[in-house]
Amino acid sequence: MKLNRREIFAGLIAAAAAPRGRAADDSVVIPGKRPMILHNDRPEDLETPLRYFDSFLTPVDAFFVRQHLPRPSAIDAGAYRLTVNGMASKPLQLSLADLQKLPQHTIPATIECTGNGRGFYTPKVPGIQWGRGAIGNAEWSGPRISDILKMAGASESAGFLETDGADTGVAATPDFIRSLPMKKALDASTLLALKMNGQPLPDIHGFPARLIVPGWDGTSSVKWVVRLTVAAESNKGFFMNPGYRFPKYNLPPGSPPKPAELEVIEGMPVKSSIVAPEDQAKLTMGSITIRGFAWAGEEAIERVEVSADGGSRWHDAELSSPKLHFAWRLWHWDWKPSDPGYYTILSRATDSAGRVQPIVAAWNPSGYLWNAIDRVGVTVEKA
Amino acid sequence: MSASKLLLFAIVSAGSAVAADQAMLERGQKEEARSCVPCHSLRLIHSQRLSKAGWNKELDKMAGWGSKVTDRDALLEYLVATFGDDKPLPAPDTSANGTKK
Repeated sequence: MKLNRREIFAGLIAAAAAPRGRAADDSVVIPGKRPMILHNDRPEDLETPLRYFDSFLTPVDAFFVRQHLPRPSAIDAGAYRLTVNGMASKPLQLSLADLQKLPQHTIPATIECTGNGRGFYTPKVPGIQWGRGAIGNAEWSGPRISDILKMAGASESAGFLETDGADTGVAATPDFIRSLPMKKALDASTLLALKMNGQPLPDIHGFPARLIVPGWDGTSSVKWVVRLTVAAESNKGFFMNPGYRFPKYNLPPGSPPKPAELEVIEGMPVKSSIVAPEDQAKLTMGSITIRGFAWAGEEAIERVEVSADGGSRWHDAELSSPKLHFAWRLWHWDWKPSDPGYYTILSRATDSAGRVQPIVAAWNPSGYLWNAIDRVGVTVEKA
Repeated sequence: MSASKLLLFAIVSAGSAVAADQAMLERGQKEEARSCVPCHSLRLIHSQRLSKAGWNKELDKMAGWGSKVTDRDALLEYLVATFGDDKPLPAPDTSANGTKK
């Protein structure tokens, strides 16, 4: 490779800009979190390392974090008020205690960042280059959105529920406001969660209250919720359009978006990910457990198959119980390679609607919804 | 021009071109520290690899979101030269343990 002087100098600058670079960066500590893959520290964009994905419920201290805007300063539980307004006959100001007095429901649900896996797309697209770990599964508890809206006398002719959190944009960055079709907002599984895995939500995950929209992209689950507005139409801000939209018709990789043909993302595709062994691992001959997780948005996982020979032969993996809509299932397959050498391991999920994980994910200009068959390469060595 | 003069000319002009490049990239890096950091840490930039068109589009987006870039050409040059899509992706950084032991 021949470098010109500009490239050599750019290399020097890059080295100076990232002096610590490749190893653990001791200068950044995220309180309450184990060591996380650090995409951004201000605001926090943290990916869960694969080694923490070994349980049905992802521990809060290992759960991924995706902030669009700086976290709001800590909300005082006593002073907190939720405004419910818009097309509602009885607009409300609810305290945290009011919310705690409503019937509480608990639902296990997987939350996945819309851009999880963006780093796998070619050509590259702007945005955080997430790998496999912008996903987690937790038990969320709190009142149903439908109960809150009933109390407020929400109009039955309303089309959307607009949700705003306490976070605000720096400079002219647009506020993070999301709209949900009323049908999904009124679904019995849609909650205003006050708890995560049985504990009050930590600040970093939206204390004191966040939306949980099971089966939809994580972007729908707005944190630090301070306002619910019953509306005729969807919000028109950046984070509804063009943000978090997917091409109606697939585009050739690398082509620019067609703004008129972008649609709001509703629901999530079927997907499995390999957690162990990790890509390019060196393993010793013997029994090797290949394991991971699989989820399918609003559907349930029906089947996961694994191949250890690049996709010639597939084997059914063992799936964990329970089989739930909205929550992932863990899977594993015990593999006994007969020879040493390099192997390409693949996993492929099928869901309760018959959707099958594709070989190739649909490239899109924002790098959303990566769900190609997962793939790792490993080298097996003689014992 | 004699061969030796030609060689001298080539060396001097190459040197000044490098100096100009270096100066521009340094200006670009200063611009980055000045105009990007108020809203987010630089990791958000340094972990990405984009084409010149891609970085240009990001600068447009950020201008719309209130960034006050004065030396845009230098910033773009610096981003493309350092974090262009022909550069390898960096290995991920890891935060230190923030849980109580």
